[in-house]
Amino acid sequence: MMRPLIGITTYVEPASWGVWHRLPTTLVPHAYVEAVTLAGGRAVLLPPDDADTDVLRRMDGLVLGGGADVDPARYGASPQPLTDTRPQRDAAELPLARAALATDLPVLGVCRGMQVLAVAAGGRLEQHLPDVVGHDKHRPAPGVYGSQQAVFESGSRIAELMGADREINCYHHQGVADAGALSVTGWAADGVVEALEDPGRPFVLGVQWHPEVSRDRRLFGALVSAASA
Amino acid sequence: MRRPLIGLTAYAQQVQYGGNDLMAGMLPMSYVRAVHATGGRAVLITPDDPGVDVLDSLDGIVFTGGGDIDARHWGARLHPAADVDEVRDRSELMLMHAALERDLPILGVCRGMQLMAVAGGGSLHQHLPDVIGHDRHRAAPGTDPLSADASAYGRHEVVVQTASRAHALLGAHLTVNSFHHQAVDDPGTFTVSGWCPEDRVAEILEDPRRVFALGVQWHPERTGDLRVFEALASAAARRSDLTRPALAA
Repeated sequence: MMRPLIGITTYVEPASWGVWHRLPTTLVPHAYVEAVTLAGGRAVLLPPDDADTDVLRRMDGLVLGGGADVDPARYGASPQPLTDTRPQRDAAELPLARAALATDLPVLGVCRGMQVLAVAAGGRLEQHLPDVVGHDKHRPAPGVYGSQQAVFESGSRIAELMGADREINCYHHQGVADAGALSVTGWAADGVVEALEDPGRPFVLGVQWHPEVSRDRRLFGALVSAASA
Repeated sequence: MRRPLIGLTAYAQQVQYGGNDLMAGMLPMSYVRAVHATGGRAVLITPDDPGVDVLDSLDGIVFTGGGDIDARHWGARLHPAADVDEVRDRSELMLMHAALERDLPILGVCRGMQLMAVAGGGSLHQHLPDVIGHDRHRAAPGTDPLSADASAYGRHEVVVQTASRAHALLGAHLTVNSFHHQAVDDPGTFTVSGWCPEDRVAEILEDPRRVFALGVQWHPERTGDLRVFEALASAAARRSDLTRPALAA
């Protein structure tokens, strides 16, 4: 029995463990792997590589994971003081996102991953939300998730998946200013974009919050189901 | 033209990065770079999930370095100096058996070579200093013995068996880096085709009856000599018929 193969994009950071100190490491919080496994998929991690997107030919679904900021040059803006980029990830993940959209590969974007989807679809980002909304409830403090009540577009995929549940956990300082070709289907109370979809494709969903932390079966299950189809 | 997809076994490990301290699926980038530099496309196989269905999607697999293999897998008692990674043992032994059964091209690096021996019915020396009386195959704790500027650590010669597959690939001898305290005792169904000349520690395993099954005790991914990764990528491409068709004469 072969489970659907779900690729998860990764961070590259200097990491320390055991005897190793600040070794360049490809990594992803294990919560993503567990969320895919619990939803019935087989996770593999996709370290950044800008050569081509042919790895997607062997994938049944894609998770664009969280992480640092997208380089503003990717949406025609100049970096602001608090923008913290990883060009190596952008060079790998924007082509993956575009290829997933072009080939109808099921894709779930999480946090940075939702922002990557927006930029891949021709959109752009707010570089520092507190400058726009006047508060820091979307990232209250280092390592602390902000709890938010979201509003979802009636009849959207995310509204259907979340049911009566409105509570989401956020940790970000950038946000989607323009979703490009994608539809905005969720907002926080302050109007910040919380969910993106493409209703014209089999499964394209981006969420600004972190469903992997609770191993949310609703969202990861929907991805795996779409990947099995 | 698709590149061969090369799976790399990975850690599920508590790591520190930036301000974070969390459980991550992870692997040093040196392995990823070695695969990409030799024409493959790397994906990481996390160990939490002991299924082997992922092998159906791969063209080749690298069993990477890491912690010690638990001695109970070859029927011995655990040595006090052993630091085992049970989660990786369980998942990687399943993957190794399944990869051997499918004759998937296999490269074993350090722990990965030891895993080949154990999966092939062999056994390991659990703490080399007990056997050979010195610790030169491993550097001092807390250092990075494999970094480019640490050339004094653990380097030694390897002599290669004439007429072996390793000999065709690597020649009669080479100098390697080294960071391990366990080593292959009985190679099981594999053949030892390279040794450290000073102490006869096994440095290369192979099985010439297979499409490609090669294990090395050193860390080629931390060097400029990526011949074993090139050979894996070529074998993976050939097995999956990814090589460019020859032009008609």
